[in-house]
Amino acid sequence: MSGTGSSAGRLWAIALNTFREAVRNRVLFVLAMFAVALMGFSLILGELSLHEEVRVIKDLGLAGISLFSVIIALFLGVNLLSKELDRKTVYFVVPKPLHRWEFLLGKYLGLAVTMSALVVSMSLTLWAFVAFQGGSHGITLVRAETLVVLEILLLIAVAMLFSSFSSPYLSAMFTGALWIIGRNQAELAAFATGKKMGGTFAGDLLHTIATVLPDFHAFYVSGADLGGTNVSIHESFISWGYVASVAGYAGAYAAACLALAVVLFARRDLT
Amino acid sequence: MAVLEVSALEKTFVRGFLRRRTDAVRGISLKVEAGEIFGFLGPNGAGKTTTIKMLMGLIFPTKGTATVLGQPAGDRRAKMRVGYLPENPYFYDYLSVGELLDMVGRLYGLDGTERARRSKRLISRVGLDHAGSRPLRAYSKGMMQRAGLAQALMGDPDLVVLDEPMSGLDPLGRKEVRDLILSLKAEGKTVFFCTHILADATRLCDRVGIVVKGRLRDVGPLGRLLDPRVESVDVVWEHDDEDARKKLGAHEGEHLATSEGNVLTVPSREAADHFLAAVIGAGGRIRQVVPHRQGLEDLFVSEAAKGDDE
Repeated sequence: MSGTGSSAGRLWAIALNTFREAVRNRVLFVLAMFAVALMGFSLILGELSLHEEVRVIKDLGLAGISLFSVIIALFLGVNLLSKELDRKTVYFVVPKPLHRWEFLLGKYLGLAVTMSALVVSMSLTLWAFVAFQGGSHGITLVRAETLVVLEILLLIAVAMLFSSFSSPYLSAMFTGALWIIGRNQAELAAFATGKKMGGTFAGDLLHTIATVLPDFHAFYVSGADLGGTNVSIHESFISWGYVASVAGYAGAYAAACLALAVVLFARRDLT
Repeated sequence: MAVLEVSALEKTFVRGFLRRRTDAVRGISLKVEAGEIFGFLGPNGAGKTTTIKMLMGLIFPTKGTATVLGQPAGDRRAKMRVGYLPENPYFYDYLSVGELLDMVGRLYGLDGTERARRSKRLISRVGLDHAGSRPLRAYSKGMMQRAGLAQALMGDPDLVVLDEPMSGLDPLGRKEVRDLILSLKAEGKTVFFCTHILADATRLCDRVGIVVKGRLRDVGPLGRLLDPRVESVDVVWEHDDEDARKKLGAHEGEHLATSEGNVLTVPSREAADHFLAAVIGAGGRIRQVVPHRQGLEDLFVSEAAKGDDE
């Protein structure tokens, strides 16, 4: 039977295709293998440490998952729309019976599913490495890995916003720059309110900018100082309550980025 | 009701840092009626693809209106009943044609059984049975064009819009596409297509529109647009006797010796009749008489050669 279908069905059609594209992309696997190789290297570094093998594997493993997920998300995110335009595939998809916003959100959903699956795969690999060294992966590391997924979901939304109106190179530059600034937001805010700049117009401006830009620092907190407490995946780490609040922040920020991307993409001439 | 209606449609592109303006489409108005094959013809850069992109909701008109099946161009309700083949189509090259059609079927809201049934039938209809499981990146240009036709028909559309459907096809492929277009018309569908291959337009179209430099120069049935007067007549003749050949060769007109025989080209039917009587009277043989009328190509060239204000 034929029918007009639902919005969810059309979103899923685009998402499924985006997922297929990503998993058939060899670059993705090469980068994921680098993350696994880093975990393998941590076994060697662990041997050099003084009975801290599990600690080294967890630290390097989590750093590897975070770093390579960001690189892959940046690479795939900025190309998500521009590749459709460059390869002219958009000429056959957009005239199909779907709204432009469904196309855009379907692309986002597909990449979100892909990246979540990738982080889960890398986390399982880390779990295996930790178990191999006789350690326990533990729920603390799961919370840290959940934060990585949330960070990636926000990063893709930011990348999508930029790629809805600019070239992939500029999108990569803007998104990359925002990620670097966002990861150092705490330092930036401290500098803006510090001795030299505190109370000045430049300081206030810098503080406003630091507040408005996405706070990527909130997603990678192991070893950081949170509210005067040093948190670490090995000792006292963040609670599920913190994860939930960060998930709310990521969701709201990503929704705002996607809403803006939808508005920009809706009136764009696809020449 | 017109299936497709365009009124005073204009598109101006503004490009670059200096905001340079290019008028790609300058006030096109036309109607395409249900069940007809309409050929949208014009030289490169005439504005054909820009017009089609506006009809498909890919770009937005600067001025004017375009309605497709009674809905504004780009509306999802209209897109539900339209099948579109872009010029030099590019698809997701990591997919097989079956996966591509499955994806398109999902966008049309078809269930799994219907997607599989239509996909199988269309792959066979466009002659891709042998390559159904191969990724599209391994397809030749002609095969890609066939895959493009299949995806355009996946939604069982009422209106089929084809941008250069014969592009990249060999003569056999072109014939198959011509037959496919005619079968679509037989099924009651409306076909709107643009092409550079005028012979195909002549064979297929009920009506044509000729667009030059963004303006619609002429629109109507070919029989009305083309001048019915005979422009010249070719007479192919032969005679075994050398002296008779010399005598007949002195007749007024343009003589040419070809492998088919001797050819005389005369400017009118009367001059041809006079020469035919002379050949038969001298004991010669007539092999062929070919009257030449204005062709689509002549019309196309004369329209393209006109200035903007003519």
